[in-house]
Amino acid sequence: MADLPPPPPGSASARHRWANRGSLFRLRNPSFLLFAAILLVTGFLAVEQQQVFRDISPPGWALSWALLALYALPVFLLVYVLDLYEREPLSLMLGAFLWGSVAATTLAAYANEGWGLVVARLGGPEFASRWTAALTAPMVEEILKVAGIVLLALIAPDEFDDVLDGFVYGALCGLGFAVIEDVFYFIAVFGGTPAGVLAGFWVRVVSSGLYGHVLYTGLAGMGVAYFVSRRAEEPFRRRLVIALGLFAAGVAGHFLWNSPFLDVFPAQVSGPGDLLRVPFAAAVKGLPLLVFVVVLVKLARRRERRWLAAALRSEVGSPGLTATELEILLDPGAKRRSLRDMRRRAGGRAARLLKRLQREQVNLAMVLARASGDDDPALERQRAYCKSLRDALAAVPGAVTATPGTGAAR
Amino acid sequence: MPAPGTVSPRAGGPLPTLVVAAVLVVVVFGGYAVGGALSRSPGPSVDIAGVARLQPLSGWEEAGRFAEPTGVRLTRGGGNLDIVVVPFDGTATDLLAWYVRTVLEPEAERLSVSPRAEDVRVASGLEGARIAYVGLFGKAQVPIEGEVTAVVSPAGTGVVFDGWGAEGVLRYVLEDVRAMTETAEVA
Repeated sequence: MADLPPPPPGSASARHRWANRGSLFRLRNPSFLLFAAILLVTGFLAVEQQQVFRDISPPGWALSWALLALYALPVFLLVYVLDLYEREPLSLMLGAFLWGSVAATTLAAYANEGWGLVVARLGGPEFASRWTAALTAPMVEEILKVAGIVLLALIAPDEFDDVLDGFVYGALCGLGFAVIEDVFYFIAVFGGTPAGVLAGFWVRVVSSGLYGHVLYTGLAGMGVAYFVSRRAEEPFRRRLVIALGLFAAGVAGHFLWNSPFLDVFPAQVSGPGDLLRVPFAAAVKGLPLLVFVVVLVKLARRRERRWLAAALRSEVGSPGLTATELEILLDPGAKRRSLRDMRRRAGGRAARLLKRLQREQVNLAMVLARASGDDDPALERQRAYCKSLRDALAAVPGAVTATPGTGAAR
Repeated sequence: MPAPGTVSPRAGGPLPTLVVAAVLVVVVFGGYAVGGALSRSPGPSVDIAGVARLQPLSGWEEAGRFAEPTGVRLTRGGGNLDIVVVPFDGTATDLLAWYVRTVLEPEAERLSVSPRAEDVRVASGLEGARIAYVGLFGKAQVPIEGEVTAVVSPAGTGVVFDGWGAEGVLRYVLEDVRAMTETAEVA
């Protein structure tokens, strides 16, 4: 029946039940208890801090949050869709974001102050005024942020399937950190007036938003995921070295950003020329790391695609998957085109049905990976489910074409 | 290539959680512990006119003495602490006002002082008052910022502690300045 697509195997809410879908809320897990306790305590302090900012400049504070929402929501979505084949559970993604925005920022405020004292006492005040930001914040803040990702990995290790998962959690943690840090800068450094907030938004978000905490913690998160997910493939030592190496790359990027090296930022922004110099100066410091991260993410996505191809090849010809469907599944561009064509040809409902079929075919790979054999009941259920979705789609007028493999062809 | 998920990841029990907790404690509080250990008071104390005695922290040294009013300057790189003693009959807040009017304003091309004084207590148990200022002084190329703490002893002696440095530098010596001020002995 075309109007009512069949429910997934098992129950309507168990889209991923076979794949041990993780959740943040594992109440007996000691890591969850630590995670929750730290979030709770730092949450009170973070709210107090925001109240102070609001009292200093109510319009500036409101404008800060409005502008940062314009930045954070698209970045959140971009990171979310990076993982082509297995979107991470929302509770864990929000957990990563909250850790970065609430726990890491609050703890970093205390920790940076303490280690700043050490730099001042060892190097003297002039040295400290030039180098404290570079010598304390990168190590302190990256450790505090990655600690949250490590806790998430301890809470839900089954959700760290590959390095891309780690990038997603790390980048979201970094995004949360960046948002709160930006509010602090807009109010405390740029003055908190609407004009000051706009100037801060130009400098810290428009000019520099691509280069900061999202990248640093994304790299560290990749390291955590590498360590967790490659247990079967790589020896402990190699996993540790690579995880520490990725963490160090994030710290190094942060150090370069905070240090006086390659600093071509204008000393004061006093005109349009200075304003235009800021994005250039930010690119000088941040672009190399951005390129490095983009390459790593592309490699990780390619690896995921290879894995999907390998996992599903044996399923071609089964009720769950045709050869053309697999071809489309492995090519994000072709996937988008197939959905667009379906929407044009048979309407939005058919396109949604096709999207669901494609998602369940990806889940077929997950089920296959965990199946005990070719006749595993979960595997057979998933194949049948995919077939039923295809049948439902075929019943939609206009969905079936002469060209096989666009979703509804049999 | 083995598929993800074919090896069940291990949770590892409470030990990894404890390790994470320990790392967080060291990162958040370690700086204060190390900083405290580095700020020992290695040298002899500094006496100002037999009225106040102060123990310089490590890295701080006496840079000079002045007569009108009687005082001493301690310095550490770009950070300075001037301690001045005067006979005074009034409150700590009055003493702050006197210091701003008599010492800071005559030397300043521009001066901005915090509108309200903060209450503090020094080691001798005396109540004091504290303000912050920023201004342009003499030939200095950059603005100078400072924090002044004033106390008045029951015997009628006023002591002013003026910690100052170039804008952006003061914050890196302010902990030291406050520690020395608040542990100073005033007769």
